[in-house]
Amino acid sequence: MLMNNLLAVVDATFKDNLEQLTLHRMPGALPFAGKFRLIDFTLSNMSNSDIINVAIFPYGNYRSLQDHIGSGKRWNLDRRRDGLFILPPKNQYILPGNMITFQRMYDHIEYFKRSKQEYAIITAPNIVWNIDFNIVLEEHIEKNADITEVMHENIRLKTFLLKKSLLLEYIMAYDTLEYRTVIDLVEKAPNLKISIYKHKNYTRSITDTFNYLKSNLDMLRFDIGSSIFQPDRPVFSKQKSAPPAKYLTNAKINNSMVSSGSIVDGTVINSIIGRNVIIKKGAIIKNSYIMARSFIEENAHIEYAIIDKQTVVKKDTLITGGLRNPYITQKEQVVSNIEKMRILFVASESYPFIKTGGLADVIGSLSRNLARLGHDITVIIPLYKKIKDTFQESLKRGEGRNIVFNSTNYHIRVYSYIYKKVKHYFIESHDFFDYDNVYGLKNDVERFTFFNKVAVEMLEEFEPFDVIHIHDWHTSLIPLLLNNSPYKDAKTLLTIHNIDYQGIAKNDIIKKLGITDFIYRDDYINALEIGINTATKLSTVSPTYKEELKYEYYGKNLTYSLLKRDREFYGILNGISSSLNPETDKLIFHNYSIESIESKLKNKLYLQEIMGLKKDPETLVIGMVTRIVEQKGFDLILHSFDEIFSKYDLQFVLLGTGDKKYEEELLKLEAKFPDKIKLNLGYDATIPNYIYAGSDVFLMPSRFEPCGLGQMIALRYGTLPIVRDTGGLADTIFKYDHLTKKGNGFKFYNYDAKELKNTIIEAYHIFNFDKEIWKMLMKRAMKSDNSLKRSASRYIELYRAVLEN
Amino acid sequence: MKKQVIAMVMVGGRGTRLENITASTAKPAVSFGGKYKLIDFVLSNLSNSNILTCGIITQYEPHELMNYIGHGSTWDLDIYGGGIAFLTPYTSQSGELWQKGTAHAILQHFRFIEQHDPDYVLILSGDHVYKMDYNNLINEHIKRKADITISTFTVVNNQSRYGILETNNKNQVISFEEKPEFPKSKQASMGIYVFNKNILNELLKEDLETNFDFGQDIIPLALSQKKNIIAYKFKGYFRDVGTIESLYNANMDLIDNPQFLRLNELKEFPVYTRSTNLPPHHILQKCTVSNSLISDGCLIYGDIYRSIISSGVVIEEHSIVRDSIIHQNVRVGAHSVLKNAIVIENSVILPNTQLVFDKITVIDNDFLWGTGDANE
Repeated sequence: MLMNNLLAVVDATFKDNLEQLTLHRMPGALPFAGKFRLIDFTLSNMSNSDIINVAIFPYGNYRSLQDHIGSGKRWNLDRRRDGLFILPPKNQYILPGNMITFQRMYDHIEYFKRSKQEYAIITAPNIVWNIDFNIVLEEHIEKNADITEVMHENIRLKTFLLKKSLLLEYIMAYDTLEYRTVIDLVEKAPNLKISIYKHKNYTRSITDTFNYLKSNLDMLRFDIGSSIFQPDRPVFSKQKSAPPAKYLTNAKINNSMVSSGSIVDGTVINSIIGRNVIIKKGAIIKNSYIMARSFIEENAHIEYAIIDKQTVVKKDTLITGGLRNPYITQKEQVVSNIEKMRILFVASESYPFIKTGGLADVIGSLSRNLARLGHDITVIIPLYKKIKDTFQESLKRGEGRNIVFNSTNYHIRVYSYIYKKVKHYFIESHDFFDYDNVYGLKNDVERFTFFNKVAVEMLEEFEPFDVIHIHDWHTSLIPLLLNNSPYKDAKTLLTIHNIDYQGIAKNDIIKKLGITDFIYRDDYINALEIGINTATKLSTVSPTYKEELKYEYYGKNLTYSLLKRDREFYGILNGISSSLNPETDKLIFHNYSIESIESKLKNKLYLQEIMGLKKDPETLVIGMVTRIVEQKGFDLILHSFDEIFSKYDLQFVLLGTGDKKYEEELLKLEAKFPDKIKLNLGYDATIPNYIYAGSDVFLMPSRFEPCGLGQMIALRYGTLPIVRDTGGLADTIFKYDHLTKKGNGFKFYNYDAKELKNTIIEAYHIFNFDKEIWKMLMKRAMKSDNSLKRSASRYIELYRAVLEN
Repeated sequence: MKKQVIAMVMVGGRGTRLENITASTAKPAVSFGGKYKLIDFVLSNLSNSNILTCGIITQYEPHELMNYIGHGSTWDLDIYGGGIAFLTPYTSQSGELWQKGTAHAILQHFRFIEQHDPDYVLILSGDHVYKMDYNNLINEHIKRKADITISTFTVVNNQSRYGILETNNKNQVISFEEKPEFPKSKQASMGIYVFNKNILNELLKEDLETNFDFGQDIIPLALSQKKNIIAYKFKGYFRDVGTIESLYNANMDLIDNPQFLRLNELKEFPVYTRSTNLPPHHILQKCTVSNSLISDGCLIYGDIYRSIISSGVVIEEHSIVRDSIIHQNVRVGAHSVLKNAIVIENSVILPNTQLVFDKITVIDNDFLWGTGDANE
């Protein structure tokens, strides 16, 4: 055969949500089927297709990928001519998107110019498949296509074949055309002939922990396993030496794969065991993937779990997840059999006692859900005036005591109240907390610093806690205080809900705490920064926001502190309460469920009526419930709505309050389109349910959104979200894809008014002209699981990781 | 390039006592422990001892072995200015150079040794099972200012099969007898020697016509010349697997004796073997697999007791494998029963075959001709 005419681009620039599994590695470097890594499948397909020119475009931490691939020898890619290239980003500050951009390829334009191959295949490193790319090329030529997209059933694989010259054209024009990726070309470019190649054999794109576990377990089905591991088209992997697996006297095995070097003396059912794993007598492993060098001690019981490398599961420990929600450990974690954990929450607010924002919701609902799961939960918050007024009767008055702060004795008194199994303690201090306002006083930093001090001194009254969970800057000094107290070994988890507020104050605040050996960098201290540097582990409220915070655009002045803690930094989505349910919600006009989804219309007509809009089932109603601030995307709205509402028949309702600047502009817009746009400004947004129930789509074009709850509520009410791909919105909303009919909403990527406009128009078209699809999307939206229970079980996993740190 | 130590590994042994197992391969290429070939042990030892220049002296059926070792990358022995060199019999001006013994083989390739100009030459055999850091041996040799150091182990019975040596209280060798009728001690040579290069050169060239073998000729010669010969007592496990029985027992030691080699338990001093590139083995249904070793790529439907299964083996339903060693790519048909068998690679056992023996028996396709029930 002559030189192969295909070059391959392996697009490892995107980062799917594989939670802890991708904390330290790229998806391509994930172990698979015991002794492989995901990228082995892609590279072996290259090798088996005689492709000798491969460029990998990595993102982020590609050390483990590099280590695995080496010179590419295993895949016949260590060559004099062509071979393997790893082409890192030149600009480290570009966030990963959903696919490699032409801009990213332009970084290494020389590679494309120099390569002699006529065709290019772009594919991903996270696909489990066995395919001959030459057959794709043949069909591409035969069909005379410009771009061939490779799919399996209705799974899109981010795999495309096209002429190198065509690819080069779009790479060179990345800054002038609106197409950012090959997906954009396939979906939007009008003059290109797009062909679909459907690969028939088993294929899975590994994009989340569910399909990671599921595809691994699929390998245990003989027909599937043998279609992936074909003797004449083998899957190559880095050469490792381990002895054969050793079975001892008590081993019991049923439908499982066990890799070299393992020692099995327990029961393994329907599971995959990586290399050098030790499974002791009496241990039971079911429906799980155990990665290399893990140690499962006597009588441990593991079901539906992904046990990352070198995890130790202690004696008698019970670990159970579900197929859709597997229990995941992290590399080198020690999991012990603490079933009931003792967690202390210290926060500035908690619902229902006091609420100024989302933080209170999270503290209240998370603490109650953890308690409901059987854990021992304590919450400490300040006793604000409002709490005192409202809950006077219920609070139990405790002893008074003195706290030394700034060399002065301050009197405090602790009140307690057990609410829904959660023990709440309220700190009364006439000096610091007894005000109408929670925040916004001149000495906020001093007030909460005092609160931190009180919380740490109160520890002597409690049995030791497993983890002290602190939130935002208001409680960020607790780890520092603990280090200067008898509780040096106490474990802390700092959750960042909003990085915009950091608690900056004159540095004498540290002296007021009685801490003398603190190293000051300048005249001010930053409470959140101190928390980031000193907490045992850190988390934020969505996996994507966690990634975004590594970039200055989002992470601001704290980017570098966070990057330093990247290995101990997690993203866990918040959830919404099960009481938010259109079937039982007393606040909406008419109840409905998936089965009676048609009744949602009654809520729409009601909404149109009370907002003074024309009652018309056929007009798309866009709803919004929000603070009216820059973050929420109002610049995009103000720059696109004029055009949209001039051309299209839509209705828009907004409930919220905020910046006068935006409110005025919005009022002008309302005046211009009085029969289409209705604003409800300044109105108390605590009862927005009729908008969630009555709108067709829910708009959140945020510039950034750490987690966001509105989109989750909208989903549950069957109202399709239109969002920008950022933070928690990126993690909960999956773009509707007309090829595969997948998704639960609409999404755009750049913070760009034109993209917002196009996305609204896309939704408008489907609403008007594809009723069946719309209905299917509504049902799918209502089935999305963003429950608090799911969120709580993630926190439990994280607490265990904190505890065994 | 000057080297302090180079190794010369003898892999030419035919291993006639291993019967059909070595019918078409050299003894060092014989399978061991489900995943290894005997040669893996010596090459891993060299790699772990950081002795990275080594001549491999081949003779009998070298093809499979050479193909297996390749450039030696499996053992990190593919290095510039050293690594592995295959030293094959060749034709010289003085005629064909067929090796007449271990020492004779070294002599033929002495130019290779000179090329690297080492201070010490480590002589090894490619068919032993053991883990050894040769640096301890060489350091002892240097410390004792020895001319020759012989690595030894203790044999409890059948001493007559080995080279037996007698030492004084300073561990100096005072007598050496190859396969003596009446052994004088239990200390036996492992066939592993360290020579000062110049002494080796001297001894090998002493009498070109008769000095063919280290044990038979060279060591006695050195003794007669009052050379300083030291015995180094190796403390670890060492198995010479020259017979079917000893090969079987050494394999089974991996299962029965938890201290033997400790391949699964120890991370240090790994034994490397060339990867088969197969997926992990798959036990497809509820099977009993106890006290056994199973390698990659196997498909297991039957029960396995105290056995060693090499890669790519298929064991079909309702078959029982007991006390046996199964080499690569063997297929065991349904309802077959095996006991005390060593099944050679690529053998096909038809369904309903009874291979139950009291004495260890080597099974190959010739043996299997006409057994079993192909119609099932």
